[in-house]
Amino acid sequence: MPVITVYINGQKISTESGVTILEVCKANNIPMLTLCHLKGLHDIGACRLCLVEIEGVNRLLSGCTTQVADNMMIRTDTDRIKRYQRITVELFFAERNHVCAVCVANGNCELQQAGYAVGLDHIRYPFLYPECNVDTSHPWFVMDHNRCIMCTRCVRVCTQVEGAGNWGVMNRGHDVRIISDFNTPWGESSTCTDCGKCVHACPTGAIWPKAVAQGQLTKYPEMIGELVEKRKLLQ
Amino acid sequence: MKRPFANASSGLSATDPRVKLLDTRMKKENFRPDALIEILHAAQNAYGYLPMPVLQHISNKLHIPPARVFSTVTFYHFFSLKSRGDHTCLVCTGTACYVKGAQQLLDAVEKSFGIKAGEVSADNKLGLQVARCIGACGLAPAVVIDEEVQAKTDGQQLVAKIHEKLEAI
Ligand code: SF4
Ligand code: SF4
Ligand code: FES
Ligand code: FES
Repeated sequence: MPVITVYINGQKISTESGVTILEVCKANNIPMLTLCHLKGLHDIGACRLCLVEIEGVNRLLSGCTTQVADNMMIRTDTDRIKRYQRITVELFFAERNHVCAVCVANGNCELQQAGYAVGLDHIRYPFLYPECNVDTSHPWFVMDHNRCIMCTRCVRVCTQVEGAGNWGVMNRGHDVRIISDFNTPWGESSTCTDCGKCVHACPTGAIWPKAVAQGQLTKYPEMIGELVEKRKLLQ
Repeated sequence: MKRPFANASSGLSATDPRVKLLDTRMKKENFRPDALIEILHAAQNAYGYLPMPVLQHISNKLHIPPARVFSTVTFYHFFSLKSRGDHTCLVCTGTACYVKGAQQLLDAVEKSFGIKAGEVSADNKLGLQVARCIGACGLAPAVVIDEEVQAKTDGQQLVAKIHEKLEAI
């Protein structure tokens, strides 16, 4: 891959081409807020937190799905970006029923961390309080739709890494829900292998193992990226 | 629990002509997973809606995980998981039609036929649905009865038209 030069927040950086802005930021310790990105899975640009401004482009783009180009002038730290990131995080909190104090993932949740990162102290939008069910039918794991932010990391890890394809997304707009098989109980799945990858991939307290108490949840999302690398070596 | 995991049996009868038709169709497409939409169309035409066993059957034959099939079905408004009735009345509630009185149309149908949006009459003769902009904003408020578009209609006209359709056969 040819080496190119980009400028991120004024810093001159040499990088190979064909990589995303997010990858370059990571390699150079430039912080970038992400939620739907998980190393090892295909990026889909769903959460809109990894926003970047690129000189000559009017719209804000997602850093996880935009590839670098030679002489690209990129900013990740403008007020405009911060404003939108904050709005987005607030909307995440307002959309479903995120009550951190009683969540298994309290203290170990990427949404909560995003909240801290944007300095969230209150939510300016009305809470929607949608009716969401909690699926406890699986022998070991729980799926709590109240905590789901529709990042689809579970869907992607189950399809792209495990190859089982248990999860999907049904409906549209704010009626979207993660589904197992035909919107049937997870415990009755004809596809799930009980591997537990979605448990680790999920950034919030939406999917968790039954054998864990409130606020005691530990997840290893990095495991997914490592697994993907190891599999390449073993092939 | 439905374990050990394996393609769950759809329970469809292989002698059902509609199953045969579907199987022929899938064979013609070489059981390509990316023919899913075409196959779902064919199934909906054959059954009038998409019964769950049919979705399981398609999932098994095209080797598409059930969740993917279900995602596709629930994404497109065209597909229905419930019987839509012998005749369908689809009221557009997109912005243009809403502004031009889509709600009054829904109220009129509800008053005359006793069904709300998303419901089918007890005798299964008429189904009432709503859609978000059917792409005929110039004709607002627009309604589609069976396949036929009713432009700039009002409650009275609409109810008369539905009666006409219901009485035709
Ligand atoms: S446990 Fe594994 S196979 Fe089952 S839904 Fe999660 S990722 Fe998919
Ligand atoms: S269950 Fe978790 S991983 Fe899946 S979409 Fe919801 S938040 Fe994301
Ligand atoms: S991390 Fe880039 S859009 Fe979610
Ligand atoms: S709003 Fe009804 S056709 Fe566009």
